[in-house]
Formats: sequence, C-alpha cells, structure tokens
Amino acid sequence: MTDGERRSQLLKLAAGAVFLAVAVVLVLIVVATSSSGDGGDTKLEGTAAVNKRLAGIPQHGMVLGDPKAPVEVAEFADLQCPFCKAFTEEVLPPIIENQVKNGQVKISFRNFTIIGEQSLPAGAAALAAGAQGRGWNFVELFYENQGTEDSGYADEEFLEAIAKGAGVSDLARWHKERSEFTAEVEETTAEAQQLGFSGTPSLAIKGPATDGLEPIDTPSSAGDLEAAIEKAE
Amino acid sequence: MSYPSEGTLQRAIAFLAALGVGVAAYIAISESGGGSPVCLAGGHGCATVAKSSYSHVAGVNIAIFGIFGYLVLLGSAFFANDVARFGGFVVALGGFGYSVFLTYIELFKIEAVCQWCVASAVLMTILFLLNATRLIGYAGTAEALPGRA
Repeated sequence: MTDGERRSQLLKLAAGAVFLAVAVVLVLIVVATSSSGDGGDTKLEGTAAVNKRLAGIPQHGMVLGDPKAPVEVAEFADLQCPFCKAFTEEVLPPIIENQVKNGQVKISFRNFTIIGEQSLPAGAAALAAGAQGRGWNFVELFYENQGTEDSGYADEEFLEAIAKGAGVSDLARWHKERSEFTAEVEETTAEAQQLGFSGTPSLAIKGPATDGLEPIDTPSSAGDLEAAIEKAE
Repeated sequence: MSYPSEGTLQRAIAFLAALGVGVAAYIAISESGGGSPVCLAGGHGCATVAKSSYSHVAGVNIAIFGIFGYLVLLGSAFFANDVARFGGFVVALGGFGYSVFLTYIELFKIEAVCQWCVASAVLMTILFLLNATRLIGYAGTAEALPGRA
C-alpha cells in the first residue's frame, strides 16, 4: 500500500469515527433527556400532585397563606418524623383548602429537629426552598417521599431531588443558602423547647383571642384544628 | 493549506494532555473520599456535579476515565507514526464527544456548572482540534515532516 492509499484509508476511517461519535453523543443526550432525571437516581412520587395542591396559594418563607391572615397556626415538625407526615397529609388539607385559601388562616412550618442528624440539613434545605417561594412544596414533597425514620435516606441527592421536584428554580442559590439557614433551624428548635414541646408535630396558634403564640394539643383531626382556630379568632 | 510542523503539534498535544492529567487527577482525588472539587470562583457547582449520578459510570468516577484518556493522548504525542496519529485522533474524538455530552448534562439536567469539568472540556476540545490537524496534515507520512504544506 502506498503512502497516499494509506492516508486516504486513514482519513476515511477518521470520517467514519466522527460520524459514529456524533451519533453516540446524540443518542446519549436523547436518553438522558427522556429519563426522569429529578436529582439523578432518586425517583420521586407525588411531585405533580403536591405542586398542583399548592398552586396559587401565597407562600412567604415557610408561611403558607395570606401573610395578613388574622390567625396563624405554627406547626413545629421534623421532616423525618412519620407523625408529621401523617398530620400534614391527613389533618391539614381541609384547613388549607378552606381557611388558608380564603385568607382566614396562615400556617407556618417551623423546624423542630429531634429525629436525627439529617433533620438539621433537611430543615435548612426546606428553608432555602422557602426563600424561593417553594418551602411548602419542599415540605410536602419530602413527606410524600419520606423514608424509614433516620435511616440515612435524606442525603444530598435526596434533598436535591426534592428541591428540583418542588420547583426550586435557582438550584445554585439554594445550595449556597442552605448552610445559612442552619441557625434558623436551631432557633425554631429552641423556640419549640421554650414552648414546652417535646415531640413532633407540636402546634401553637396565634390570633386576636390569644395572648401571642399559645401551644395547643396536637389535633388528631381537621375538626379539632378548626375548633382551635375558632377559639383563636 | 499549510499546517504547523508535526513536532509543534506533538509538543502542544503533550503539554495540554499533561495539563489534562492534572485536572482529571485533581477531580478524581477530591471526589475519592466522598468530597468534591473546590470551585475556585466560589459557588457550589462542583459539589452539585460531583454528587450527581452522572459523575460515575458503572460505579467508576468518570475522572478516572479522563486520566486514562489524557495519558493515552500524552503517549501518542511521543510517536510520529500513523498509529499514534490515528489513535490520538480517536481518543481525542471520544473525549471531545463525551465532554459535549457532559456539558449538556451540566447545563440542562444537573443545572450546575463545575469549573474543573469546563477546564477539562476546553482542554479536550483543543486536543481534538490538534489531533485532527495532525491526522489530516500528516497521515500516510512515514515520519514527521516539519512544515509540510
């Protein structure tokens, strides 16, 4: 084979390799785009349902509802706590649907971290989502995908998947601000202890008829919570 | 069309491949203990990318593949024959193609950019162009012909 023939053959092979590389990259991009991809390997449940449920309800930080609502229900909770999940999923929905949506009540989520060491970064992650108006989406989506209590599931990948699923638009900012919210998580945990709480979820209520934020027994039903709201009005 | 001498291309390829080995080794070492590269300009892009599922293929950190690729490119720069020219081109093409894919993933899937990954992508792009120039300019020649027109 002459030098010219060898050159021609090598350049044909190179052109074929370029064609193959372009095809492989395109296939990889199509496959990656069509996968769910919320936070890498973490598959979330309930993303659409949570975001639909909370759509149109004002959120300021971790406060759900009109900030001028006369009654405030403060929920002290740990994101890893299964009872908090049950409370949020079973007791709160009718209150949110009625009193919160009509501007009568606002609900504030306050971290009371008692379960394990992942509770603090998880709580801070929720507050960082709250800074972008997606705090309650983060909390409810976390509960939807809550794992076994303090089993180590609430790692970085899980939190990022929740943030993305919750609709946190500026993930770089969310990452940056998470650590800054750690102090606030510790503050609300101290606040819960000062109110005499020892378990989660614990509730307090503030309204025209209360003397500031007053602890109440944790309601076991929406009816009990409605009654407490009425007393505070 | 005139090309730079093959010796010049080989030296440039060797220099950039050595830089690439350094960048990929830094990424691999910093992630080996569960950590992440430090973003020199601040931000958390490097941590986000490092902790994403795309940072590993079959359980192996992709930076390890990067080190291997850059080492092959470095080795190819020391020989002036068709095996080295074509081998260097194919490895650089693969590295460039995968860099394009990873950059897409960073921008549109992970939504975070790691400076070290960008540095590697830029190096791999230049290496691809240099190796393509070398192959087109000198394929079929028995040895380096400096300044071949």
